[in-house]
Amino acid sequence: MPANPEKLKSIKEFSHKNIFFAVARNSAGRTFVGTSDFKVYEVDISAAKPELKEIGGHESYVTSLALAGNSVVSGGYDGQLIWWDADAKKPIRKVAAHARWIRDVRVSPDGKWVASVADDMVARIWDAATGKKIHELRGHKELTPHHFQSMLYACTFSPDNKHLATVDKVGQIFVWDIATGAQAAKLEAPVMYTWDPTQRRHSIGGIRSVAFSTDGKLLAVGGMGKVGNIDHLEGKTRVEVFDWKAGKRECEFPGDKFNGLVNQLAFDPSGNWLLAAGGANDGFLMFLDLKTKKPLRQEKVAMHIHDIAVNSAVDSILAAGHGRLIQYDLKG
Amino acid sequence: MSRSSFCGSAAHALDRRGFLGLAGAGAAAIAADMTGVGRSLSSSTLASELKQQGKRCIMLWLAGGASQLETWDPKPGAVTGGPFRAIPTCVPGAHISELMPKMASRMNTTCIIRSLNTKNGDHGSGAQIMMKGRRDEASVKYPDLGAVLGKELGRADSKVPDYVWFYSQTEGRGFAPGASGFLGARYAPMELTTNMAPENLRRLDGITDLDHKERSDLRDLLSKQFERGRTSSTLGSHNEAYQRVRGLMASEKLFDITQEAQKTRDSYGPTQFAEQVLVARRLVEAGVPFVRVARAWWDSHGQNFETHQEMVPELDHVMATLIDDLKDRGLLESTLIITLAEFGRTPSINPSLGRDHFASAWSCSLSGCGIKGGAIYGKTDATGNRVVEGEVGAAQVFATIYRALGINHQKNYYLGSRPVPLTDPNTKPIKEVLA
Repeated sequence: MPANPEKLKSIKEFSHKNIFFAVARNSAGRTFVGTSDFKVYEVDISAAKPELKEIGGHESYVTSLALAGNSVVSGGYDGQLIWWDADAKKPIRKVAAHARWIRDVRVSPDGKWVASVADDMVARIWDAATGKKIHELRGHKELTPHHFQSMLYACTFSPDNKHLATVDKVGQIFVWDIATGAQAAKLEAPVMYTWDPTQRRHSIGGIRSVAFSTDGKLLAVGGMGKVGNIDHLEGKTRVEVFDWKAGKRECEFPGDKFNGLVNQLAFDPSGNWLLAAGGANDGFLMFLDLKTKKPLRQEKVAMHIHDIAVNSAVDSILAAGHGRLIQYDLKG
Repeated sequence: MSRSSFCGSAAHALDRRGFLGLAGAGAAAIAADMTGVGRSLSSSTLASELKQQGKRCIMLWLAGGASQLETWDPKPGAVTGGPFRAIPTCVPGAHISELMPKMASRMNTTCIIRSLNTKNGDHGSGAQIMMKGRRDEASVKYPDLGAVLGKELGRADSKVPDYVWFYSQTEGRGFAPGASGFLGARYAPMELTTNMAPENLRRLDGITDLDHKERSDLRDLLSKQFERGRTSSTLGSHNEAYQRVRGLMASEKLFDITQEAQKTRDSYGPTQFAEQVLVARRLVEAGVPFVRVARAWWDSHGQNFETHQEMVPELDHVMATLIDDLKDRGLLESTLIITLAEFGRTPSINPSLGRDHFASAWSCSLSGCGIKGGAIYGKTDATGNRVVEGEVGAAQVFATIYRALGINHQKNYYLGSRPVPLTDPNTKPIKEVLA
């Protein structure tokens, strides 16, 4: 049975004092988390009393995890990429990958490449097996149009392993050709750059998430819409979907229920809907119907969601956020 | 009030200030000077006023409340510490946030007070306390720091404004307006909220400069005739205001940064805050005693780390450039730079990755004039939740500011016959940070 958003239910919850910034789950069901105490842990959330078992640490927040073969790759605000042997609880390789905060780490579907993006505004592609740098992808501007440091928040590989999409604070979207390192497309979602030139002269927005559809035709980006005259995450959630090769915006979901940032996106394999997760003070899971271009289901979550681990059928969602991990099922 | 006998010397300026002290209070129903009617200048007063000569102050008002943990009092590795590291400064043993590398290399010009407990986490009343050093009373509206410094450091014959503030963003602007309190309108600020330069300062196109001067002379003549045989503080204030008009009109160029060398403009940078601070430097160089430049949106209830990653480097760069610029011009020793806000931010991190209002244990900085560079006063606990050494409130900070500028913090103003001290009785300055 395909995943059914109407069947969404929380089946397990684990609370902890840490902020969970990153989560990854392998095909064997092992779960890894990156947290605010600068550590990478393994956790069995299905246990009666789940415990965090330390694998190792960074020198700042651990903000992204990806699985490369048998290793876990972590990225942190210390600019380091670390390949971990989760069984031995030891680092296999440490790479001083970026000069500023690493925001996202992804592994290509075929497992060959690791991509990392950071606030040095460079996307780097690494050989997943050896850690050798393959490409440095430069094009996102280091400064915003208003002379502040920009941020490169997220990246994702296309399902055919041929492209990498990267997204930044000012609403720019680049698609890169992995083979050549050349820019294959450039798109824009300027509303997500929440800069206000008169009242605020400040921005806490940016494109925070990006995902390709299973057929690789569509590219979705998520963030937040215009923020009013207040310094909270008070803008409505925002998702835009592009036919990226045509350079055309197919649809947009300006948000009608929740405020806050869309931190993660995942397409339903059937292409019918799109999952968007994130939050402000609380969190949300939104299922966005790509045919009607309207929300299918919007569920409040009792934590700001920073990351999700979904299986290939997208019928199991492990959400990681502020002080909690929550396991959801959508089995039809 | 003839000014023709004034030679412009510092000594005459002192004498004149002393004898004209009452007139400076304008129409307010007070005798706003230290000794009341008929006083003569004592030697200690003279010494105090000499110390005040040429002293200036620029306040960088971090509206909304900047986080002490991401600026002056980092707690790396603590559960409350956030993601930023602490970095060493040029002062051995002193560390500040990694977001402030330029100030780290200039810590020998700056002291940090890390033990503020101002007990008020509300934007409005917190701002009032931190702009005045105390709460208003039901029957007494106190002047804010700018008004007091305008009175104490300004010159009666000044051709420039005494108190200027920039507040271009909206956050908190209504909470902390410039307030001259019982000192009256004479010491109210020139407020700039929408433009870099004051509006309506320029002479009307339809009036020539000669016309304008002759009209002024005629008004002066008629006033003197009217004044003959009359004594009135209101009349004096009225005349003084007119006498300042041409000076203020001539100060228009002070607000024009195109008058600066491109190299200087480039050094400050292109942001609005940078340009306003450059104007502030131009103003104090020309003799304006107090300029407040507000940079808002530090109120980071959501995304505190993103906010501070965006805004602290701007503060770090602009503040460091201002210090260098003043130093190069020989003005740093006579100019006090203050970073202050209505409060700091909570050590705890909320679900929006924000920090909320926190007045129990936060920090401010003082640089330049009268300050023991590199001094760090007070201490918070390992998580930054409470002060464990040297707790001080707004009154002590204000007493310290006054003393750094050579002003007796125990000096009395008079509301009728009631003495009103500059700071509450028994308030002591923080001597550990004073030069």
